Amino acid sequence: MSPAGCACPPPRPPDKDGPAPVPVFTGPAYMTTAGEPIYGPGDPAPAGAGGSPASAAGHGLASAGHAHGSTAVGMRGRAWGPLRREWIKLLFQRRSYLIWGGALLIPFLIALALYLAGADPHGGGGGPLFMERVAGNGMFVPLAALSSLLPFLLPMAAAMVAGYMVAGEAELGTLRIVLLRPVRRGSFLLAKWTMAMVYLAVGFAIMAAGGLLFGALFFDLEPLITLSGSTVSVGEGLGLIALCCLFGLAAMACIVSLALLFSVITDSSLTALIATIVIYIVIQVLISFSYFDWLAPWVFPHYFLEYVNFFRDPIYWTPILKGLLAFGVWSAGLTFIAYLLFRRKDVLS
Amino acid sequence: MTPEAAAAETPIGPECVQGSPILSTHALTKQFGGLRAVDGLDMEVCRGDVFGFLGPNGAGKTTVIRLVLGLIHPTSGHAEVRGHRVPGELQEALRHVGGFVDDPTFYPLMSARRNLRLLGSMTGPVSEERIDEVLDIVALRDRAEDRVGGFSHGMKQRLGIAQALLHSPELIVLDEPTSGLDPRGMKDVRELIRELGAAGTTVFLSSHLLHEVEQVCTRAVIINRGRVVVQGPVSALRPKDDAIRVLTGDQTRAAETLRAQFGAAGVTRDEGFLVVKADEDAVPEMVRRLVGDGVDVRAVVPAPEQGLEDFFLELTGADDAAGPAPTKRRAGLARLLPGGRR
Repeated sequence: MSPAGCACPPPRPPDKDGPAPVPVFTGPAYMTTAGEPIYGPGDPAPAGAGGSPASAAGHGLASAGHAHGSTAVGMRGRAWGPLRREWIKLLFQRRSYLIWGGALLIPFLIALALYLAGADPHGGGGGPLFMERVAGNGMFVPLAALSSLLPFLLPMAAAMVAGYMVAGEAELGTLRIVLLRPVRRGSFLLAKWTMAMVYLAVGFAIMAAGGLLFGALFFDLEPLITLSGSTVSVGEGLGLIALCCLFGLAAMACIVSLALLFSVITDSSLTALIATIVIYIVIQVLISFSYFDWLAPWVFPHYFLEYVNFFRDPIYWTPILKGLLAFGVWSAGLTFIAYLLFRRKDVLS
Repeated sequence: MTPEAAAAETPIGPECVQGSPILSTHALTKQFGGLRAVDGLDMEVCRGDVFGFLGPNGAGKTTVIRLVLGLIHPTSGHAEVRGHRVPGELQEALRHVGGFVDDPTFYPLMSARRNLRLLGSMTGPVSEERIDEVLDIVALRDRAEDRVGGFSHGMKQRLGIAQALLHSPELIVLDEPTSGLDPRGMKDVRELIRELGAAGTTVFLSSHLLHEVEQVCTRAVIINRGRVVVQGPVSALRPKDDAIRVLTGDQTRAAETLRAQFGAAGVTRDEGFLVVKADEDAVPEMVRRLVGDGVDVRAVVPAPEQGLEDFFLELTGADDAAGPAPTKRRAGLARLLPGGRR
């Protein structure tokens, strides 16, 4: 227990226009008879108030020397600190790698299954969108992977990551420590939302890169034939795949925001995860009935598969933009509600 | 009235001589459903205090700390840290405070150093030198690279103090930092708190252990059921009606002398000692008189006082005894706060 030596800030002289120091001091060191502060409220505290100056100088445990860097550095650090923290936390969780592993495994399995099934286009036994086209062209592997991951594994991952963001910290008890840092709760929450999205973006990238890799290994990467029958070059095709992934990521923003909302409401990450998945599945079931067709345009899962419209020639933008609008409104709305609740939340964990 | 006279008459003034209080609460109230956990709490912590925040378990200590640090929102009233209102100007306030509530918790899979780095970088980059420094202060430097998951309870408490010191705050708020520690760990943490206090950091130390507060703190407040029971210098918390045990060569003559000074009721016998109801201030005059009367003074020792723990129970138990304003508590208050607090 050796105190580190560092310089203490010198006591600041009294304010010129402030009240004069109490001239006579007889009582205990904590009070003034005049009842007036010697130092203004905004003044730095004199080190070692009431103690001997020598001891204060000798130890200097409370020096302000390291408090905050220059404003510029401080601003940059303030913006990046919470983001970096969330990222490192994610990297320290094993389940993060499980999801990423799944995102890599699925395209591999798709490619392998179709390769083993041979040239027969239906040998793969049907399957999700784009599946029947894979056999001839590796370019379709990432798209087939996307269409099989987007309805379930990726929403799961989004709900898991975002659901853990606040509730997980409440469970662990780190929330009450980290919220003692002078970071606004809004920035704190936004950092969490952003990092959940970055995490998913990495997942999408792994899936797309893996799909292309396995597509190239098992098949060839060839020019794509769009749903409209036209052909686009490999380069353009890669661009379309990237656009599809970005659309999928935007769709996941809704799930992230929903899970974040539950994560703020509950102090159990599992509850947040399950609540999110239940709501997502309930909506999916609802809009699968034609009776609820009137509802479908208003809920975000309705638009999840609209990325196929990138493969029309020309690109059929209307449903894509509608989908993006729905994702934006839902995500922003849910995140805002989460923010309002989090701002007023009593952290009792 | 001259200032000196006023000071002499008001040993427990609410104002701090070294500027405005670094931490204060103003009618701070927190209601949880039907439970009023904190009930119109007023207290002041002055700069440089090592301030004891005492109360039995369930008195509302942790709730007050959560309120003061902005983790929960008051039902009414507010706190002020260095002149910044909480929760209104929480971010400004938190720049000057470090601490923890309940047990300090960290990411078990990460090293102590990484945990500190993550916490520190929330508000701007924190230098590795500073991390080394605070780890040195709490004597955890050699365990810096080990996973916190493998740390003992005491090490986690010390790491909690280390993270509180990271941004060199003026005020450190520690919630029962010695709870659950073995005697050695308690001693280490108390020593550390004393060192911090000596270096000029204001320490707000919550505890349910009176002797701990007495060992470490300069001033203290005792709360119960979310209310202040008594507030003042620690020396004044000690019950004043102490007794002094006197042993002389001639107890009979000594008793006469003492009765002349303190009255017949003030002097009793106990196991060969004369027990005088008086405080330490009366000792010099007492000894002078005894010597003047030719009595050999062999020993003048404080009588085994009313235990501080008993005093504590008396103060905090008064409310539990179900009854309005019990006299014992009033007596305690009146003794310590001339003029009364309310």
